[in-house]
Amino acid sequence: MKESISTSVLRVDSRKKIRGEAEYISDWKFENMLYAKTVRSTKAKAKITAIKLPDIPKDYYVVDRNDVPGVNRMRTVVSDHPIFAEEDVQYIGQPILLVVGPDREIIYKIVSQIEIKYQEEEALFTLEEAEKRSTVFTDYNYKKSDPKKAFEQAVRIIEDEYSTGYQEHVYLEPQGIAAEYKDDTLFVYGSMQCPFYVKNALLETMALPEEKIRVVQTVTGGAFGGKEEFPSLNGCHVAVATHKTRQPVVMIYDRDEDILCSTKRHPSITRFKAGLDEYDQIIALDIDVLLNAGAYNGLSPVVLQRAIFSATNVYNIEHLNVRGRNFMTNLVPSGAYRGFGAPQTIFGIEMMFQDIALILGIDPLEYKMRHLLKQNDPTCTGGSIHEEVKMKEIVQKAVEQSDYYNKLKTNKKYQGIGISLFLHGCGFTGKGETLIKGKIILQKNKDVVILKVSSVEMGQGAETVLPKIVAHTLDIPIEKVIYETVDTGLIPDSGPTVASRTTMIVGGLLRECALEMKARWDEAETFEVSKIYKHPDFLHWDDDTFHGDAYPVHSWGANVAEVEIDPITYELTIKKITAVFDVGVPIDERALIGQMQGGIVQGIGWATIEVMKTANGKLIQKNLTDYKIPTSMDVPGIDCDFVLNPYEFGPFGAKCAGELSFVGSPPAVAAAVENALGKPIKDIPITPEMLMEIDNDH
Amino acid sequence: MVKAYRPNTLTEALEILSTEKCTIMAGGTDLMVQRARGSAVLPGFDRPLMFVGHLKELQKIYQDEEGIHIGAAAILTDMMEHELIPGIFKEMIGQMASPPTRNMATIAGNICNASPAGDTLPYLYAVNAQIVLQSTDQKRIIATRDFIISPKKTCIKPDEILVKIIIPAKEYSNNYYRKLGQRKGMSLTKVSLLGMADVVDGNILDLHIALGSVAASIVHSPKIEKSMISKKAGEIKEMAEEIVKQYADLIRPIDDARSTAIYRKKASLRLIKDFMENISQE
Repeated sequence: MKESISTSVLRVDSRKKIRGEAEYISDWKFENMLYAKTVRSTKAKAKITAIKLPDIPKDYYVVDRNDVPGVNRMRTVVSDHPIFAEEDVQYIGQPILLVVGPDREIIYKIVSQIEIKYQEEEALFTLEEAEKRSTVFTDYNYKKSDPKKAFEQAVRIIEDEYSTGYQEHVYLEPQGIAAEYKDDTLFVYGSMQCPFYVKNALLETMALPEEKIRVVQTVTGGAFGGKEEFPSLNGCHVAVATHKTRQPVVMIYDRDEDILCSTKRHPSITRFKAGLDEYDQIIALDIDVLLNAGAYNGLSPVVLQRAIFSATNVYNIEHLNVRGRNFMTNLVPSGAYRGFGAPQTIFGIEMMFQDIALILGIDPLEYKMRHLLKQNDPTCTGGSIHEEVKMKEIVQKAVEQSDYYNKLKTNKKYQGIGISLFLHGCGFTGKGETLIKGKIILQKNKDVVILKVSSVEMGQGAETVLPKIVAHTLDIPIEKVIYETVDTGLIPDSGPTVASRTTMIVGGLLRECALEMKARWDEAETFEVSKIYKHPDFLHWDDDTFHGDAYPVHSWGANVAEVEIDPITYELTIKKITAVFDVGVPIDERALIGQMQGGIVQGIGWATIEVMKTANGKLIQKNLTDYKIPTSMDVPGIDCDFVLNPYEFGPFGAKCAGELSFVGSPPAVAAAVENALGKPIKDIPITPEMLMEIDNDH
Repeated sequence: MVKAYRPNTLTEALEILSTEKCTIMAGGTDLMVQRARGSAVLPGFDRPLMFVGHLKELQKIYQDEEGIHIGAAAILTDMMEHELIPGIFKEMIGQMASPPTRNMATIAGNICNASPAGDTLPYLYAVNAQIVLQSTDQKRIIATRDFIISPKKTCIKPDEILVKIIIPAKEYSNNYYRKLGQRKGMSLTKVSLLGMADVVDGNILDLHIALGSVAASIVHSPKIEKSMISKKAGEIKEMAEEIVKQYADLIRPIDDARSTAIYRKKASLRLIKDFMENISQE
């Protein structure tokens, strides 16, 4: 009998990475290559009044906005970020110019001699200040049913507010990028998630025709959203530099520079006003989401969309008024990070449910279950839950495997247990997939099959999972499936490697192509099958009113966290996480468990030790000495289980998984801490400093 | 470029130092980070470097009538694994950095870095460890607390090498060590408390308390300690409030990227109290 698709295989990329044979961009050498170092703003908001350069030695160059052949803006959702600063700077770390040359010692010397004169202006940093001064980038609103009337009829109204902090991606490999001309074609190579985003940005900034630009992804050592839009910026930097110098230019960031200037998870505030009926049921919610977008809006509007479309989480609330705003502040731009806005609002609503239940004296889990969405229920945006909802089975598994109720009863003070329920909308938000129209090519070449996609391996397993889907369908060994180099000159645009869409959307297209190829296998020695993504017909979405199916399908889950707090020092120890997920069907169980554990750990980090704050626009935790992510010592045992729920349009029934793994652990940990201390937790990260203050009656 | 010396013997090293000011490097785990200038560029040193980590005469750990001698270039891992090193000191070292760093870092480096967060220091202060400094013509022996003048500053002279540390060969009956960091491993200390006591038949014969990262230097007060020595273990619980108050005057922490002054202070005092309660149960 043929093995199940879920049966694990050896990861295709594991050998070369473990043996150190994988060549990251910092390992690349080009003939006559030059290095680039960025000179950045040291002011949070200022006019640049003068730039004084030292004598620049032969073979060294200064590259700035005057060297940009095309548009000096980074193309993304809102193309507002200058490639190089013009008259003003809006955040500390904003790129002003590059120093380029053959010897890094001399580059550093030149950089240290450059004097930039500023005329400083009043800056603003916090969401509170930004709200007061209404520095709104984006303001979204949607309603469901009649919230005004529902609040009038509510017998009880409860209001609360929750906040979350920054998070740095801390991919193992910092940002790195290179550019060169081969004849008159511009090549950009680097660590990235979205080669076609970089290409589209280059088209505008370099003013070159499409066929003169090729973007090649190099081995990418982690990304988590941090290499979604950012490489469009440093990609343009090296491209402009290579255009000026006509030599290959390489730019690798140090960790400290990477932390200073790369995007981070949006700090947030989410306010809830809940209207309850006489049976304590929440009939209406007013939700107000505030995201700190930083100095430029960039990708933030879509992050905000996912934040507000996820704000009711797994619950069916009849009347809704949801507002979301991105605020401008003079801080490094926030951007994509695993979960993309959803973790912020899901943390809020999970804590809100827990807190309301405790006020009412109802078991929080029972209270949540009373509001659960089920199949064919309307979504918050008036679409429909098309898939079967297996939350009861998921929750039952999580409760049984963690012995939740028994521990809830017998835990002493300083021991806590908490549960979170959550979902994640699979693939792009709203019109995303229909705009991108991902295209893939599968090519038969005698006994091998070449798959051509723009999805990248970035540690998540795409290089294994996608060939596995093809191999399994065609009944050929996985070694016979070749993953074409992700080079925009060789592959079609199947969309960016984001939004947990790779397996479900791109993998789904590959499965279709492979099925067709299988039927036609003997037709010829070599032939090609190509498909373009088509949204299932029953889905509808109106981007102007935010009405309809924001996502084609959702993945679901529940996390149980067990914690212990040191009564002397308030140090928090996470003892155990029990996680159950419905991701449709796992394509490779071991790879998937690894991904789920990784997301859970990243969520724990965000919820507890990953403190990142600013003072006057400067990051206080500006390096890995001060900004800590969990080590194996901080990670508890994680029990990970799946409930099968095949999705008709996913390959072998697979849905999304990568981001789902992140969203559950923060509210589960926070709920467990509430349980341990008997005090509400409204803000993450939860630090011993904060807990000692909260528990001050002790 | 950086000029560097790699002497073959301690004598050779001292001779070089008698004519030229050098930056002395053993494991380099602090220096290389502090002087880093960016990837693929050499760290910046304003003086010639002298490597001493490889000198066998600086690596020895042995015992004589003076106590336990720990060679300046003994690495943390060797100390953790050495039978002569007191148990609580091993435990403290085991919570420092990560195994790769402990395989490089030396005890003298931790002392000469003179950080209030230096994790060997609370022990060295508590047991009044003696620092042995050597130059071509002189040998000086100084108590740790006199050797470290202020954060990042010691009284070592340019022609001297810290050659060894001498600690008493003594284990205490009660040992208490808590290191608080931002996470459970590979973390700099935001508060640490070392408590050691000898309790025999309910009598406190000896007692030491030292705290790291909560003031400009290690907090260690022989005077307060003395007020607890020769008391009954059972009595000490009643004294706790008064003792804690005395320490509160010495603990002057700061707000920084890793914690807050208020947390550091409260946690320190709570740990002192907890240590005293532990003893009182003897």
